[in-house]
Amino acid sequence: MSALFRLRKTRRRLISDSKGFSSIVGAVFAALVMISLISTVFVWSLSQNTLYNNTVTQTRQADLDRSNEKIVVLNTTYTPYNNSKVNVYAQIQNIGSSSVQFITVWLYMSNSTPWTNYNFSSLVNASVQSGSTFTLNVNLTATGVNPNSTYSISSWLITTRGNTVALQQTIVSPNNIIISQTTQGIGALMMDFQNFTYYNVTGGNQLTPLPNGGQGYVVSSGGGNIVFRVILTDLDQEQRIINLSSSSVFFSIFPTTPQQVRGSYWYVVNVNGSGVISSTYTPVILPYNVPVAVYFASDHAIVSGQPFAGSPPRFTGTAPVNLALIGQLGSNSFGQNIPFVSILILN
Amino acid sequence: MQPRFLKLLKSRRAVSAVISNMILVAAVIAVGFAMLAWAQSQSSNYTNQYGRAISSDINQLQERIVFEYISYNNSKNNLTVYLMNSGTIGSVSITTAYVNNTPNSTIALRLLSSGASINSLNATMEGYFSIIPYPSLAPGTNYSIKVITGRGSSFVSTFST
Repeated sequence: MSALFRLRKTRRRLISDSKGFSSIVGAVFAALVMISLISTVFVWSLSQNTLYNNTVTQTRQADLDRSNEKIVVLNTTYTPYNNSKVNVYAQIQNIGSSSVQFITVWLYMSNSTPWTNYNFSSLVNASVQSGSTFTLNVNLTATGVNPNSTYSISSWLITTRGNTVALQQTIVSPNNIIISQTTQGIGALMMDFQNFTYYNVTGGNQLTPLPNGGQGYVVSSGGGNIVFRVILTDLDQEQRIINLSSSSVFFSIFPTTPQQVRGSYWYVVNVNGSGVISSTYTPVILPYNVPVAVYFASDHAIVSGQPFAGSPPRFTGTAPVNLALIGQLGSNSFGQNIPFVSILILN
Repeated sequence: MQPRFLKLLKSRRAVSAVISNMILVAAVIAVGFAMLAWAQSQSSNYTNQYGRAISSDINQLQERIVFEYISYNNSKNNLTVYLMNSGTIGSVSITTAYVNNTPNSTIALRLLSSGASINSLNATMEGYFSIIPYPSLAPGTNYSIKVITGRGSSFVSTFST
């Protein structure tokens, strides 16, 4: 009881006594000042830390994007010219998940002398979407080079993300084209008669059977759409590039009955690496002295608003074939007819 | 009331107690403000130093240099290094190049497209510099090259003479 009384007395004295109150106010004030200072520094440190973490994340993402760039290079050819120029041609397919932009192509040449030379060329608009194909076709200056020597040539591309894409290294020997091969009086394009192929077209415009198809001289279509593949080589004496327009056609005349001549035709198309016919058409490019597979399959010339549609043989029997090719030879118009093939349509 | 106030004024003992208290309070306030100013100054210094360190780290993290091609001319003892800034930050300068741990600080950076002299490479910009290695490099040998940027990042590649 007395203890309780003493406690009450102490409390009453504390409340009534104003001494020491200022000390409490001062201590609280000091604590507030310290807390505000420390919390300011702490929050600022946190914001700096967040900034750093964000940068680390962005840098990791950039590294990931760089490592995800996947490029396949096909059909690399190097063609030395007389004027110290080397043409580099390659088909580049982006099989990665993000688009890729190439900014520079490098060329390195050497021979047994030993002689070496290198050069580069900046690339403009060389952006390739995922799954798309880009045709590299550039002329680089390589002082001292001529088409009559043998060179070991390598080339590589630089992407904006910092990757290096190597093109196939090739040994280029002197140009030994026999002029008679080009049948100079007929035209610049040569057809490879040993590699004349046809394919059936199945669902999704897929070529079948891949990759070999059937010999193009004897065709069994079963009434379905077919595709002819011919290997053409540009042997223009001035070494110019040939572009084939969508009007290029593979057509055949069937002498079914006397005075009743019937025609079948297959216009030029683009076929991707998986053997699928594209619904649109981009001109086929034929670099000098590079065999290129050209496909003919469309019922009509593919132009804007008129996408690809398949074409069957329509008739059976033996028929001559004409390869009527239209396009550009360098900066000039070009046209050539190759009439040396016959085909037999069984069904 | 008035006589008590006059009495208080006349009392010398009371005056000395008030003055001493006032001096004490003034001293405490002065010391308190001095401490506050010192603490603020220290925290400001700390935040400045930390901020600079973080900013430097961030800039360094964003630096990426790609070696496009390295060419050595045996007859002229001239090493040319072609680079691209593939990072996300610009103003990447090259201060030193080490060829097999031998430093060379006379780096004259040039633009790849035009050969114009430049101080630094912005993002996706390509450039090159030439140095004269000492001692000269042996033909048919593999060497390593390390370049140091102005921000302190280092990038390494190898080449064959």
